[in-house]
Amino acid sequence: MLPLETRHSLIVRLKDVQNDFAWRDFVCAYEGFLIQLARRQGVPERHVPDVTQQILMAIAKSIEGWKDDGNSASFWRWLSTVSRNVAIRFMSQERKQTGGVGGSDLVSALQNVEAPPDQHSVRRYEHELIVWAAEQVRHEFIETSWRAFWATVIEERPVDEVASQLGVTAGSIYMSRSRIMAKIKKRIAEVNDQ
Amino acid sequence: MPLTQCNPNLLQQSLDEQLTLQQEELLALHLTECETCRASLEQLAADQGSWKSVVKVLRDETSGEHAAARNAGSSLIPRAPLSADDDDFHDGPALKPSDFIVDFLEPSENKDSLGRLSNIEIREFIGQGAHGIVLKGFQEELNRLVAVKVMAPHLASVVAARKRFAREARATAAIVHPNVMPILHVDSSGQLPFLVMPYVDCESLQDRLDREGSLPILDILRISLQVARGLAAAHAQGLVHRDVKPANILLERGVERVMLTDFGLARAVDDATLTRSGLIAGTPHYMSPEQARGEGVDARSDLFSLGSVLYAMSTGRPPFRAETTYGILRRVTDETARPMRELNPEVPVWFDAIVMKLLTKSAAERFESAEQVAGLFEECLGHLQQPDVSPLPLIVRDLTPRKETRPLKKFLLLVAAVLAFISLSDIAVVFMHSKNPTEETELLGAESAPIEVTQPPLWNDGVDEDLKQLDTEMNTLLEQTNQ
Repeated sequence: MLPLETRHSLIVRLKDVQNDFAWRDFVCAYEGFLIQLARRQGVPERHVPDVTQQILMAIAKSIEGWKDDGNSASFWRWLSTVSRNVAIRFMSQERKQTGGVGGSDLVSALQNVEAPPDQHSVRRYEHELIVWAAEQVRHEFIETSWRAFWATVIEERPVDEVASQLGVTAGSIYMSRSRIMAKIKKRIAEVNDQ
Repeated sequence: MPLTQCNPNLLQQSLDEQLTLQQEELLALHLTECETCRASLEQLAADQGSWKSVVKVLRDETSGEHAAARNAGSSLIPRAPLSADDDDFHDGPALKPSDFIVDFLEPSENKDSLGRLSNIEIREFIGQGAHGIVLKGFQEELNRLVAVKVMAPHLASVVAARKRFAREARATAAIVHPNVMPILHVDSSGQLPFLVMPYVDCESLQDRLDREGSLPILDILRISLQVARGLAAAHAQGLVHRDVKPANILLERGVERVMLTDFGLARAVDDATLTRSGLIAGTPHYMSPEQARGEGVDARSDLFSLGSVLYAMSTGRPPFRAETTYGILRRVTDETARPMRELNPEVPVWFDAIVMKLLTKSAAERFESAEQVAGLFEECLGHLQQPDVSPLPLIVRDLTPRKETRPLKKFLLLVAAVLAFISLSDIAVVFMHSKNPTEETELLGAESAPIEVTQPPLWNDGVDEDLKQLDTEMNTLLEQTNQ
């Protein structure tokens, strides 16, 4: 594994300082997701840091293909699209050969732009991203709010019943469940500009 | 038709957590009645498609084949209701001790040992917090039990956090004080930094508060006195703790010793931007306003946090609470805490006054130093134990609001009030009849109008002050009646 400081600046100094910051921010936000993704794809625990590293390398290398189209946030949008594609390719790879490929083979495999996206992996990617975002958001809220969200939105139980069970007002449930949803959406948007 | 009014602006502000407690309560009430606003709020939060896909994914994730395939219950499913403290945040990214041991410890030949870490045989897993895990270990060559605190992987990956950890842990090692948990050794070279402390049989103040709720005033003062002394020792070395909270205050079992711990990690978590981004898990309930704003802090920041801890000991909960980290930070910077006596009438008035002074938003208006605070607590403790012999310290008496008004004073005040009201109404009536509207407003707004009534002062024990206040109230009243 690379030393931490190298990992976070892990490229290519970007000429544009703004973009350099954007890349670092992005890695901060995305690395956590990739770690979880690798785990859930069945990569053994001791290989997780290495595999995450390879995926980030593949993303970093693909950055060389970026051309500024002059639109604002162009780099960011491009970055999130590349990352999404690389992550989806990783999921297809893992499906083909469980146990994990590693090293530079994985990096080049993930950079193989010709590989057609596998629909199953695309759907799994969306699924993983939402689960990850929801888990992040859950930590930001107190337990009662999360319970209220879960019971009324996911389990579709009546708001009044849940309110009296949790000892809160119905109105506060309406407020907190929308807040939770807004945050989940925001988290996803931070790494996935689709 | 709903009884309360629709106000679309409030909806977005509510999502952004910009409402005051009062506005929030009103909006909650309104939402119960108004279906239109409920729908708008949901629409503002996310479009219908997003709601649908999130709901579908979370259902798939936690039921049927997906859940089974992962052979473990999803961490998304809430814990059973009524099983735990509702105000708690769910702990940060789950860290299973078993994973940790496999990844981090070296194998040991000793079969009582879970593994080795440097020259320490790790024997037990003691606990875990948002910032790391604590292990119980044994150092053979020194024949002593130690507690090893290992930084959580999600923190260890933040470069700044690692650096601060090492620097601050070394600084803490320089403080030798009975109320500061000593640090025996620091290692920040490996995959996960760790520090070694003596093993002490103790529980945290947080554990005790979870179990007992609020504490008796005598216990509060005993604990606070020692915490303040520990802080004073740290401050004398130029070190600010930055994370004074019940979880970092250890109560030794069997003796009344209190120890402040976790200086090392403190700097790693003080960065409000890290807290906001969710990168650092944990509660910012005890942060000072200057920390919450991400500004530089000095020793007086710890005094604010100490005030919050005293508040929690007195009422069973921290002074600023909200649904999210961001919400708490905002309350810490913008709102005044509810008087403690509203939550626990047993809190002495003078103690409430001390805590409120510690909780002043402006650092300059708090007490001068932890040393001064420790001195005050010592005197207050003396006062509690022997009220007849030891009076409350002068500073504390000065903070305390005036005692109950005596009956005579009450009567005089009443007379004054009636007189004042009559005179002011007269003046008002005269003005209304004699002046044109522009002048009238000007004159009524002028401060000089009612002063006549209170002069000359007939009483010297503060009644004239009360009267001045009365004047102000009268003025307001007058303005309102004339509007």
